[in-house]
Amino acid sequence: MADYKKPIPEPDPVSQPFWDGAKSGKLMLPRCTSCNRVHWYPRLICPHCHSMEIEWFEASGNGHIHTFAVQHRAFGGWADEVPFVTAYIDLNEGDRMLTVLRGVDPNKPESIKIGGPVKVEFEAATEDVHIPFWRVVEA
Amino acid sequence: MAGVLSRAAAIVGAAEAKEIGYPETPKTATQLHIEAIKAVSVQTGIPISRINGVFGAGWSSQISEYLGLHPSYIDTTAVGGCSFEMHVHHALAAIHAGIIDVALVTHGENGWSARATHGRGTGRGRGGGDPWDPGSMFTNPYGISGAPSNYSHAMTRHNHRYGTTPSDFANIAVVTRQWATLNPRAVMYSKETHPFGGPITLEDVNTARLVSWPLTLLHCCLVTDYGGAVLVTSPEIARSVKTKPVWIAGAGESMSHSNMLEMEDFTATSAAASGATAYKMAGMGPEDMEMAMIYDSFTITAGITAEMLGLAPRGEGFTLWRDGHAAPGGRLPINTNGGGLSFNHSGMYGMQLLVEAYRQLSGTAEDGINGVAGKQTSAKSCVVNGTGGSLSTTGTLVLVAD
Repeated sequence: MADYKKPIPEPDPVSQPFWDGAKSGKLMLPRCTSCNRVHWYPRLICPHCHSMEIEWFEASGNGHIHTFAVQHRAFGGWADEVPFVTAYIDLNEGDRMLTVLRGVDPNKPESIKIGGPVKVEFEAATEDVHIPFWRVVEA
Repeated sequence: MAGVLSRAAAIVGAAEAKEIGYPETPKTATQLHIEAIKAVSVQTGIPISRINGVFGAGWSSQISEYLGLHPSYIDTTAVGGCSFEMHVHHALAAIHAGIIDVALVTHGENGWSARATHGRGTGRGRGGGDPWDPGSMFTNPYGISGAPSNYSHAMTRHNHRYGTTPSDFANIAVVTRQWATLNPRAVMYSKETHPFGGPITLEDVNTARLVSWPLTLLHCCLVTDYGGAVLVTSPEIARSVKTKPVWIAGAGESMSHSNMLEMEDFTATSAAASGATAYKMAGMGPEDMEMAMIYDSFTITAGITAEMLGLAPRGEGFTLWRDGHAAPGGRLPINTNGGGLSFNHSGMYGMQLLVEAYRQLSGTAEDGINGVAGKQTSAKSCVVNGTGGSLSTTGTLVLVAD
């Protein structure tokens, strides 16, 4: 992981519970205890009802592909990996994450299915920062 | 019935910097601003010293200082390429309120020259995200680099939802290039202005190299230099100057998100809201529009926006181009300058939309585009829509000529 050349997130107080979970392989999500809705990215205030009572819970780690694209041009560490597939993932618990999609052939985008199921996995970029990636799984 | 702000101000002039596109020697953004501002002052006969409101996408105070102005209204709204449509909206309100009576909306951007002198982005970007973009901690790690890499996701979703294809949207690039071949100031005017200039075919667009599948290079806008400026004045001043007024009949602005992570519907933009506001203020509707200037950072941007503005049903925006309605000689000319796709796109393209809309509606395009003949339409009404960010922010204007 010392050779992780791509951008590495810098956890802050608001997002720290997510990164703590990621380090132990858990997908933690923020949820408002007032309206019970999940939001992503993590916030100090619920964007739905504006309550500031936010809790973290362990999510299933399952989701579906909302939409995707194949990047043929990238910069920095990602430039070495083109083509690669980026996708927005609908989380089973609600809201959406961006990922680089795994388990797909970037040269056959027509074989990638919107709505197809995906599961989260984590890659250790540093000892403390494990980045979530989503992988296509069998329906 | 029109709203109280409708026609409370007019655009009375619109001009560009001398050299735009790919200048032989690199330009600075300030130079592009100043050349355009001087040109619009000469065009209208309104002295620069008479300007009392300054509107720019950032840098309003620096430009004011450079000109020795001490404006009483300073607006630096910078929310991407639609900022300039919003500036006109804000100027309209400020003029109606009696705070100012001569507003300068200005833009200078050396998208091309900056690359020539500083190189392209390194993409090393902070993985921690930007403090002013809290969602970016969860998007920066995933190799998204620049607008094309995001907008492509919208094309995929539109294709999925409506059964459209990238080739359907390629029609937008082909028709927009037809317009560029009528505008000598367009980068892609001819083989003389650019090795890849002149007319293009659907096959050219479909088989160009992939930038971010499903977007090929020819689905994407140019990166050029541009300077542009417009003057917005009170009705009294608009009636007294030597140029013709183009009335701001309607204006609206909105946004759906900033980071694309928060874009709920990838096949829709807030132009539905900003457009509805503008039409309502104008007391007009899409059926009253005789032409349209629609931000085309990518073919998908223009296609979706045409749907949002009610110019075509959902899922069918591209048919305006495919069926020739948006083309030269069609019933609804769109992007008559050749668009961001083939005329000029400096990074934020909303000023180019304004300048072209003014030229067409005021008839100054007839006299020439910076000295070169270039009349394209006889339209008297135009809907102008800017889109900023990642299909994030929108500003819509309904403009009408006397």
